[in-house]
Amino acid sequence: MVIVNIMTLAKEIGVHRNTIRNWVKTGRINARPGPGKGLLFTPEDFRAMCREFTLNPEQFPVKELGRQAAGAPVSLTPTPKSLKTREEQVSDKVIGSVMVVGGGIAGIQASLDLAGQGYYVYLVEKSAGIGGKMSQLDKTYPTNDCAM
Amino acid sequence: MSDNFEPVILGFLCNWCAYAGADLAGVSRMQYPPNMRVVRVNCSGMVHPDLVVHALNKGADGVMVMG
Amino acid sequence: MDKCIACGLCAQKCPKKTDDPYNAGISKRKAIYLQYSQTVPLKYAIDPEACLYFSKGKCQACVKFCPTGAINFEDKGETRSIQVGSVILAPGYKAFDPSGLSTYGYGRISDVVTGLEYERLLSAGGPNLGHLIRPSDHQEPKKVAWVQCVGSRNTTEGGNSYCSTVCCMYAVKQSLVTAEHLSGDGLSQTIFFMDLRSHNKEFERYYQDAKAKGVRFIKSRPHSIEAGPNNIGVKVAYLTQDGAKITEDFDMLVLSVGLEAPQDAPALAEKFGINLDHHNFVKTGSFTPNATARDGIYVCGACRSPKAIPRSVTEASAAATEATRSLVEARGTLTREKTYPPERDVSLETPRLGVFVCSCGINIAGTVDVQEVAEYARELPNVAFVENNLFTCSTDTQELIAQKIKELNLNRIVVAACTPRTHEPLFQDTLREAGLNPYLLEMANIRNQNSWVHQKEPGAATAKAKDQVRMAVAKASRDYALERGAVEVVQKALVVGGGVAGLTAALELGERGYDTVLLEKAGKLGGNAWSFYKTWKGDAIRPWLSDLIAVVENHPKVNVLKNATLKTVAGSVGNFTSEVEVNGVPETVKYGIAVLATGGREYKPQEYLYGQDPRVMTHLEFDGELRDKAATVQKASSAVFIQCVGSREPERPYCSRVCCTHTVHSAVKLKELNPDMRVYVLYRDMRTYGLREELYTKARELGVIFIKYYPDSKPQVFKDGDDLKIEVTDPILQMPVKLTADYLVLSAAIVPNDNQGLVELFKAGMNADGFFNEAHPKLRPVDLNVDGLFLAGLCHHPKPLEESVSQAKAAVSRAGIILAKEVMQLDAVKSQVTEKCDGCALCLDVCPYQALKLEEYRDNGHAHRRVVSDKALCKGCGVCEATCPKEGVTIHHFTREQLKAQVDAALESLN
Repeated sequence: MVIVNIMTLAKEIGVHRNTIRNWVKTGRINARPGPGKGLLFTPEDFRAMCREFTLNPEQFPVKELGRQAAGAPVSLTPTPKSLKTREEQVSDKVIGSVMVVGGGIAGIQASLDLAGQGYYVYLVEKSAGIGGKMSQLDKTYPTNDCAM
Repeated sequence: MSDNFEPVILGFLCNWCAYAGADLAGVSRMQYPPNMRVVRVNCSGMVHPDLVVHALNKGADGVMVMG
Repeated sequence: MDKCIACGLCAQKCPKKTDDPYNAGISKRKAIYLQYSQTVPLKYAIDPEACLYFSKGKCQACVKFCPTGAINFEDKGETRSIQVGSVILAPGYKAFDPSGLSTYGYGRISDVVTGLEYERLLSAGGPNLGHLIRPSDHQEPKKVAWVQCVGSRNTTEGGNSYCSTVCCMYAVKQSLVTAEHLSGDGLSQTIFFMDLRSHNKEFERYYQDAKAKGVRFIKSRPHSIEAGPNNIGVKVAYLTQDGAKITEDFDMLVLSVGLEAPQDAPALAEKFGINLDHHNFVKTGSFTPNATARDGIYVCGACRSPKAIPRSVTEASAAATEATRSLVEARGTLTREKTYPPERDVSLETPRLGVFVCSCGINIAGTVDVQEVAEYARELPNVAFVENNLFTCSTDTQELIAQKIKELNLNRIVVAACTPRTHEPLFQDTLREAGLNPYLLEMANIRNQNSWVHQKEPGAATAKAKDQVRMAVAKASRDYALERGAVEVVQKALVVGGGVAGLTAALELGERGYDTVLLEKAGKLGGNAWSFYKTWKGDAIRPWLSDLIAVVENHPKVNVLKNATLKTVAGSVGNFTSEVEVNGVPETVKYGIAVLATGGREYKPQEYLYGQDPRVMTHLEFDGELRDKAATVQKASSAVFIQCVGSREPERPYCSRVCCTHTVHSAVKLKELNPDMRVYVLYRDMRTYGLREELYTKARELGVIFIKYYPDSKPQVFKDGDDLKIEVTDPILQMPVKLTADYLVLSAAIVPNDNQGLVELFKAGMNADGFFNEAHPKLRPVDLNVDGLFLAGLCHHPKPLEESVSQAKAAVSRAGIILAKEVMQLDAVKSQVTEKCDGCALCLDVCPYQALKLEEYRDNGHAHRRVVSDKALCKGCGVCEATCPKEGVTIHHFTREQLKAQVDAALESLN
């Protein structure tokens, strides 16, 4: 979910803030009242709204909860621009795969979870086998289970 | 008992621990006497006492339930 | 790599030895090696640094001896380009190298080893096969000591300023395991520590247990460590708390080395464009513990701060949740399911067995006479086809098996080869491809449990192999097709508890498109977090919390039910139904999984004049003063904190984990408000774990006075006129100290909310302290022992906010594995109630998964009782089968008849 400040939006579109509130009530803008003076959009609705009012979604100040510490503006594009300047190909399509770097217990668990949920996983490990430090341990506390 | 007595031992090994341990003994090439025959079980808790008695009646010299 | 069968001949023949990093360099391995015996993938690798061919251009002994031609010296590293939706970094940590700290004598004194080296010395898979001997003279040590905080909590001489979190507990563990390894008189284990930090779940009990078992704990940092005579043993000199100077001899000294950021952290950070802190740990925020500064790149584990396995595993799942947030619409687009031809019904056919005896190169054939075994198999009942293969697991033999199944109408297959634990899935797949049910396969383990362990007795090994094949044939003849049950998954979630953990879980579930009901017993969401001022990193909590609540309350996928209680629970994983009461009105909720986040609360102290003097308050109350009345607080001339109020007490023997950090955070705040304020902390062990240690250091630098007290001489709080006085014995001065306080802040324990009702409804497990029990303390830290249930936050164990957030996100990832599927496949090996069941219900009590129930039915007008098993709950352990006196319940694939047939076959030669 994306949070947009009503005042900012009103200013960008060039209408009064109460007009925005009315549009939300009547459904002209697909959003819900959010915290304080915020409006809550799904990312799709936000993009649609931006198209309607010819706003640039990538430059519009928004915050996204759960993605970044509160208050930090974030871009809605899946990949930052800095990457696009590099030579690597960056797809505009959302890609259903994840790369996990490190084949210790954390990397293994992340990979299992992702694969179980339907994402293709590339698990990258620099040594000849996965298992990492945990495989070197004899027993684990507090149950004295064998670490292997 | 004579010196060349070779007991026949029946082992019920839990797939998740003891059986895995026996596999690991193999990977590590640990040598042990070839007297045990292994029945793999899903859990050592599934071995019915009657089964143990049955094995002894049939002539097993020992039964090991490992898990 | 595909050709390697991990037979190990190459390593046997390889002439070049080198240090084995897996055994921390205390033993040797060959230049061609298996990383460790259970490594995945189980394939040998060549160490190019050590290999003679790579360094000198000749040798190739491995090529000569490899039976499968798996070695390819021409193999080159290649750079591959892959497109991914997001990245998770889990590079782990590096163990601290104490060589640079000369005082510890590591490298100079033979019998000084690091914790990791000691771990290998103890391990049954280690260089001494678990026989504990010291390096100098290879004798068993009797007196072993540990020194804590080596390279940790140490700002001088190349150490690290933070606490490494795990070392206290691993030293306690090693001390207990050491006692199990040794026997004889004069054994002792001694741990030299600064503060013993056993703050996670069941850790404090473990520590107390070690004390009770005689492990000696000495609060001191040894000042000099020297070698014993002839560099055998170790001399340790230390000062006790009361100032006595002691020199003691030990047979061995273990350095509890800490954890550091991985060496390649800066390179990784550069590559991925993320930020590191001044220790090279990955920087993350208070409320987004697994997100980096850059969208799409997430982190978990010890690379962001030192931590033990359960938190690493939890964070791994949390990072998986983070990684999928933007990818939801692409879920399932790159994964695919294999398809198989329809299964042939063999239930009416008489058994026609195909037996495939594997030579495994010379791994089996070198010891067992495989030809003889194959010939023998031909004579066994029901056997229609026998063949000996060089490698039964090879692709061409797989094709041959499938072809023979079709050509000869075989309906059961026996493979005499290696262990079913690694190869059963492969052969089962071959059966499925040939149209046979996978449970019509049996394996005879004639490699791992025969040729490899009886190498010097080929005759006896061959006889045993015949017995094994006979047993497998007997079992296979009684195998029948099994169907994997399926449960239709209700792709909806229930979250119980609307605190930070519950809110986070509900939001993440909703974001993934799952309809979620959030149940809160109070009229307001947010729980304890409303009372907190700031996180230990200094971020204010309320603004973040109110945003979170607003988003959850307005989320189209989340239905928030306040003033709601759960009344009933029916069903099992994938398909639960509950009655809930919302403001007194009943409602029905259907869901596939539930996240329990029922939270905890602050203990209301009975001690230290709490409730009798307004100056005495708890942490949460004092947080309110700091937030709302900073100007008044600033005027105080003294403040005293007392730690462990209600924690680490006989009635509540656990550590509440967060209070030490809370105290130093508040103490620093007071010193910042008013540098002249006298601030005292009365503590038992300061447990500012991980990077929080720096806050403790800062508090001391600002002049906060820390005084240790022991439980047998707790501080006394009394009123002297209008003054609030505290008297405590300072163990260093060895005399009582009297303090006056304007504020007395009590670090009150965190107690769980009453979970008994939920425990009964869901049949979940709870520990002696009233916290929910996870399915496995290390590897399944957010799953409950009941499938489909997950836990997050304080109802699991006391923890700071960021760990609650992580755990809630982790729960969503774990739940996602179930919710992602419309239909959930179950294992086929399950209990089955037979017609012999008379409903005596003995099995109900022993079933560890509550999978069995008693039902009544009518037959010919008579009432009968019988047991029914819930396939979704049953794990196929068969404790019911072993308990039933009349074969009324059995386990598919391990029926009494199948087990008995194997026993009979094994003992056939005796009868």
